Amino acid sequence: MAFAMRMNFVDVVVSDSLKNYYVDGKKMGYQFDIRLSYYRGHFLSVIDEFGVTVDGFEVPMERIKFCINGKEFSPAEFDKCYTEFWQVIEPATVRVFYPGGLPEGEHKIDVKLMFRSPYMPIGPDHQYMPVDSCGSKTLAVAD
Amino acid sequence: MANVKTGITLFSLGTPYLKGELDLEGVIRTAAEMGAEGYEIVAAQMIPSYPYVSDEFVSFVNKCKEKYGISPICYAANMDRGMLRDRDLTEDEMVARAITDIVSANKLGCTVMREQYLLSPQGLARLAPYAEAYNVRVGIEIHNPESPITQSILDYVKVIEETGSKYLGFVPDFGCFATKPNKPYWDRALAAGAPVELLEKMAQLRYDEVPQDKAAEIMMPDMQKYPVLFGTLSSMYGFVQFRKSCKDELEGLKKIMPYCFEMHGKCHYVDENLHEVSIPYEEIIPVIAASDYDGFIVTEFEDEGGYNAVEQTTRHVKMVKKLLAESR
Repeated sequence: MAFAMRMNFVDVVVSDSLKNYYVDGKKMGYQFDIRLSYYRGHFLSVIDEFGVTVDGFEVPMERIKFCINGKEFSPAEFDKCYTEFWQVIEPATVRVFYPGGLPEGEHKIDVKLMFRSPYMPIGPDHQYMPVDSCGSKTLAVAD
Repeated sequence: MANVKTGITLFSLGTPYLKGELDLEGVIRTAAEMGAEGYEIVAAQMIPSYPYVSDEFVSFVNKCKEKYGISPICYAANMDRGMLRDRDLTEDEMVARAITDIVSANKLGCTVMREQYLLSPQGLARLAPYAEAYNVRVGIEIHNPESPITQSILDYVKVIEETGSKYLGFVPDFGCFATKPNKPYWDRALAAGAPVELLEKMAQLRYDEVPQDKAAEIMMPDMQKYPVLFGTLSSMYGFVQFRKSCKDELEGLKKIMPYCFEMHGKCHYVDENLHEVSIPYEEIIPVIAASDYDGFIVTEFEDEGGYNAVEQTTRHVKMVKKLLAESR
């Protein structure tokens, strides 16, 4: 992978945050929290790459909702979210549509999150410092 | 005669804040305990309603002022020119963002705003009527590798003088006066196994003002052997560059002093004898003390080396106060 800046203060995947969620009394999927690995917050439009892999299987993008500020966004919408600010100390909740939920026990969560630091140009033509905010953790699922 | 107050930018306590060891009130309380007479806040780091300032946040800040005696004196804005995925913001869009920041700064009670250089001199000039109306002096940060004598800063001087506005100027960061290699980067290279002789060789190339591409050519075999040195070289020629003497830069600072609204007292490592190991405060502070500067020197601890943020910031505030007292 090409050079990317890493500024790590806390784990990206938040401990003890994995749980199934319910709709109409049925398990509709699971969710967990993530933190931005940087010293300040950012608008979601700076995110260049986002993906979630659970137990080695990549989650299809359309099953993912990224929740901040009391709203839910699809990764496909990030580039339009230039007024949605993700506070650096506020976790975002990643919610995955997965009817039946995750089975009891531990699950390995891998998050890919690369963004541009939008005030740090590294060349002409819209080139900005890439920042690595990826993270992995094995979490037990709570119901 | 200068009237210098010492403050801190809450950014200095970013590590404990981000880790949840101190909440915002704890950060402000700690700043007051260190002897700060006011603080700068990095808006995108610590204002919960960013880029706006909510009434709730204003009352929080006022409560903290009652309890701890200090309030925000500078709103540090970011110019996120690259925030859109497909293109840079236009000048109109950047000016619009900066006006939003001026409004927020005013609401927070700040009379100074730090702006970043991605806003062009022309863009800065367009802020004058808003800065004046809202009583917020907007200063472009002069950050290493820029200095008071580099061309891009002189371009701002020209525009500031053309507008004649007392509300447009600068926030110099003392990192631009560095005369020694940056300690955290140096120590990181050593920890990764790079021999000290190679670091010294590289630093000498920097001191001798050998151009970066030429220095890279000379160091290539060493860098291939110790890849950590690639990063060290780009830092020595980038945001933490240094030179034999900062006399010319300090002369440049004297010239722009009437336009300086705040100073960033950058530090990476202050030792137990209250000495910043890369930035010659013993030379910088007397220049400011002898000027007509009226404003804050705000401690900005850059946590690159893993040192204790509270200890480093405390030492730096003490160092600045001591040097100011000695210069009187």
